[in-house]
Amino acid sequence: MNAVFTLITLSSAILLLFEPEQFLPALTDGAQNAVRTAAMLFLIYAVWMGLSAVAEDSGLTRSLSRRIRKPLKRLFRTGDDQAAENIAMNISCNLLGIGGAATPYAVRAIARLEGEDNAFGQNLLFILNATSLQLVPATVIALRASLGSSAAHDITLPSLIVTALSTGIAVALFLAADALSRRKKK
Amino acid sequence: MKYVIPVIFIAVLVYALIKRVNIFSAYSRGAGEAIKFTFTLLPTLICIFIMCQLFERSGLASALTDALSPAMSALGIPKELTKLILIKPFSGSGSLAYLTEILESHGADSYISRCACVLYGSSETVFYISAVYFAACRQKKRLLPIIIILISTAISTIFACLLCRFL
Repeated sequence: MNAVFTLITLSSAILLLFEPEQFLPALTDGAQNAVRTAAMLFLIYAVWMGLSAVAEDSGLTRSLSRRIRKPLKRLFRTGDDQAAENIAMNISCNLLGIGGAATPYAVRAIARLEGEDNAFGQNLLFILNATSLQLVPATVIALRASLGSSAAHDITLPSLIVTALSTGIAVALFLAADALSRRKKK
Repeated sequence: MKYVIPVIFIAVLVYALIKRVNIFSAYSRGAGEAIKFTFTLLPTLICIFIMCQLFERSGLASALTDALSPAMSALGIPKELTKLILIKPFSGSGSLAYLTEILESHGADSYISRCACVLYGSSETVFYISAVYFAACRQKKRLLPIIIILISTAISTIFACLLCRFL
């Protein structure tokens, strides 16, 4: 992230020397967008984290994730029950298309995995989330419908195929890279 | 699909009611955790959004778009989509704004628009997610997963443009 940030920021900043009066407004507009986005994210997180606290207190989270906890623990190579629980909730929320609820679960799972130094599990969870796990691209369908599409839903199937493909390739590459680095260590 | 969220909401509350949980205090505690959570994200957000603004305003984004367009068309990707593909890994709201622009100018049912929708719906804001997820981690070297994701995104982008011609 540091390399990307430095490269893009520095080269853009140098180019902006040709329009120096644009410089400070660009910086403050960026920060303003960040605060605006954070405010919007906060609304979404407050709504979902409130509900997830209720689900947790009532034992719903625990009983929902009981069945898939074991295979998840093997898959992510973790011995931590709570990590597996958070991963289960993160994946379910992603599949349902409520990304706002999924992110806090992922961050909690990453923190639990950090406790046992499990970089493998952290990276795997990151890859699953970053290649998108959505079954129905609800935002895009709503946008198309609002702009007068005659068949707003017809992108669901191609989206699903492409999502499956990108997630499949990424996981396969990651497992291959992991196997390779283990062989090297031996 | 529009019933998913209300049904989840009601189901969770009813279950908690049966289990005799204090719903009000649990909900407000969770919402309170969101305050802390959002504040830990804010520094990352500021860096990313400042970078995006500079990238856009300096003209570097459009220069890069122009430079990459020929290579993109050679791979079967329409040049109108280059900018969307470049912005998507960094900013969700930025790319959504750009997607809206594409849909408005090309018509929601055109090939370009459908392609854009599939690309938007099947990828994520990789750099943003990596910054948020790993903000609290000691081990900062996370280059390999990012490279893997960029490779798989590139392959599936080319495939998506092909697929939209038939489906």
